[in-house]
Amino acid sequence: MRRFWVLLRKEIKELVTPQILLPFAITIVMFMFIGNIVGSQGTEAQANRRLALLDLDKSAASAALQGAVEQAGFKIDRVTTTDPAAATTELSGNGGTLLLVVPKGYGASLAAGKPAPLDVYSVIRTFSFMAGQDSSTLSAALAAVEQAVARETVGGSAPNLDAAFLENPLQVRDHVLIGDKQADVSPDVVMGFITSQTTFVPIVLFIVVIFAAQMVAVAIATEKENKTLETLLAMPISRPAIVTAKMVAAGLVALLSAAGYMVGMRFYMDGLMKGLGGAEGAAAQAASQAFADKLGLTLGVGDYALLGLSMFGAILVALAFALILGAFAENVKAVQSLLAPLMVLLMVPYFLSLFIDINSLSPVARTLVLAIPFSHAFLAAPNLFLGNTGAVVTGALYELAWFVVLVLIAGRIFSSDRLLTMKLNFSRKKRTAV
Amino acid sequence: MGDILEVKDLRKRYGQLEAVKGIDFSVQAGEVFALIGPNGAGKTTTLRMVATILQPTSGAITLDGIDVVKEPAKARERLSYLPEEAGAYKSMKGRDYLKFMAEVFFEDPADQAESVKAAGEISGLGDRLGDKLGTYSKGMTRKLLLARSIMTRPKLAILDEPTSGLDVLGALDIRDTVKEFTRHGMAVLLSSHNMLEIEYLSDRVAIINEGVIHATGTPAELKARYSAQNLEEVFAEVAR
Ligand SMILES: Nc1ncnc2c1ncn2[C@@H]1O[C@H](COP(=O)(O)OP(=O)(O)OP(=O)(O)O)[C@@H](O)[C@H]1O
Ligand SMILES: [Mg+2]
Repeated sequence: MRRFWVLLRKEIKELVTPQILLPFAITIVMFMFIGNIVGSQGTEAQANRRLALLDLDKSAASAALQGAVEQAGFKIDRVTTTDPAAATTELSGNGGTLLLVVPKGYGASLAAGKPAPLDVYSVIRTFSFMAGQDSSTLSAALAAVEQAVARETVGGSAPNLDAAFLENPLQVRDHVLIGDKQADVSPDVVMGFITSQTTFVPIVLFIVVIFAAQMVAVAIATEKENKTLETLLAMPISRPAIVTAKMVAAGLVALLSAAGYMVGMRFYMDGLMKGLGGAEGAAAQAASQAFADKLGLTLGVGDYALLGLSMFGAILVALAFALILGAFAENVKAVQSLLAPLMVLLMVPYFLSLFIDINSLSPVARTLVLAIPFSHAFLAAPNLFLGNTGAVVTGALYELAWFVVLVLIAGRIFSSDRLLTMKLNFSRKKRTAV
Repeated sequence: MGDILEVKDLRKRYGQLEAVKGIDFSVQAGEVFALIGPNGAGKTTTLRMVATILQPTSGAITLDGIDVVKEPAKARERLSYLPEEAGAYKSMKGRDYLKFMAEVFFEDPADQAESVKAAGEISGLGDRLGDKLGTYSKGMTRKLLLARSIMTRPKLAILDEPTSGLDVLGALDIRDTVKEFTRHGMAVLLSSHNMLEIEYLSDRVAIINEGVIHATGTPAELKARYSAQNLEEVFAEVAR
């Protein structure tokens, strides 16, 4: 046991080198930096939403329209010309993005009960996520005006008719059922909530598993490349201790870096939320949280423990798998291509879980996907939200079974002399085949 | 003194190729026993089997009364092995490498400190022990590894071409140190292509070719048997 700790310390020291730490630190700082920029840009953009207004009608109706737009948070820039074409040039010239032109006769058309034209010019300078924000705010403001006008018109001409009825003659009431729980909310809202809660799980899992696998395979390959393996194998350290120390070291470093990535991600997400949603976003989130509670879509401590267990299981399987693959590597360069089978096994459930529901695949496809141990880690979060605790436990046990089998195989390889002769045997076979 | 190592009818097969074809020899405590023979004769293969990192196809190896094949873990406590082409952890400093090795072998911090100090002296690296191993020259690394393999005072030190890559003075120092250690009871099993070194260092020599031991004896006995002036002539005689 003492020797195990001595070895573990050495393994961790070997892994925690500037070559590993630097890219890691850079990634986290980048995440924080981007999050910050997006956040501050977003708030700034909200604070100075600008709109150029060319009012050619100058009626009470157009004044009301301006009021509604101001209400939505736009600062109105006066336009110096009365020619729409000249106004657009002016807009592009001074860096504005929106021009609203109220043509002559706007008020009169509305009064006569005719559709009144309005021109909205949007200057698109980038295709970024943020760029569309102002236009959608304006559309929302205009839609509100539209409703108000419709209500007024209906109220004036047909006092018996309920304006609300004309707007929405059908009253669609959404009810979502999950298991035996029910809430009056649209499925879109629920899906959005779940997505926002679980998207980071597969991404982080994917990164950590690949990172851990690479580290352990590189650790073995490095021992071979630097010719330290023979010395290590002749030392009085048991084979299981050697294998475990390498896996634990890689696992620990990978988990720590995962924690780092999560912190970085969090900053990024927070920045994004601040930039996009602001107060409305927070309110919407609080509302969906309430529905989630009602539908049982929240995870308790036990659920989080299971989720962690499932992810940990996937990491263990990947470590043991990579250890075996690493044993075939003659040098560090060969590791990348040797890890390809592991990558495929990881990629299949990762992408499938992003786009489709694995549970609804055809029985054959489903069995194939579920046979991959990593699938269970990717399915754990959605399954827990749906209350399929049994499936998660079974999945974790399945992962454990894989781990045990792989460790036994790794142990066999390490205690036989295959570790030293395996590669040579390969090339020999090839040579005789030629 | 009795036999510390006994090898009986040892064989190793790599696929179609039988690299070691049933060899017998023994090494006594305090003795330096050398394997000499042409390239590909099976020296490294034999040393690796004694060092527990290759499994014999058949045959018996007994180290200090322990069956090396059946109880490799116990055997590893009693031996140290310097591979033919060994490297060291490049990001470690020389002294940290010795410390790591000492911590694996000894539980008592006093023993650890003592063996690190001894190894530092044997290696002759002085201040350079504070440098990373990645910055060492080939010979410097070799000196450090050699020091490491005898610092734990194993019952048997297995040294595969120990002084290859060393300069003349470095090699002389190491030979003296090895001899010194054997006076305290350490046995040495080595292979070398340097006949001068073998003659100076070895108590007994086995000449191996194509996996078969052709002759075993003291350098003087072998020279007499093949009526040769030196070991090189003996070697040439057997190898042809
Ligand atoms: N891992 C291996 N797989 C297959 N054949 C091997 C392997 N290692 C060694 N051999 C073969 O076994 C034979 C003996 O090799 P060995 O390394 O023991 O020779 P050696 O006496 O140490 O030679 P040298 O003086 O060149 O170091 C050679 O024919 C070699 O090709
Ligand atoms: Mg050799």
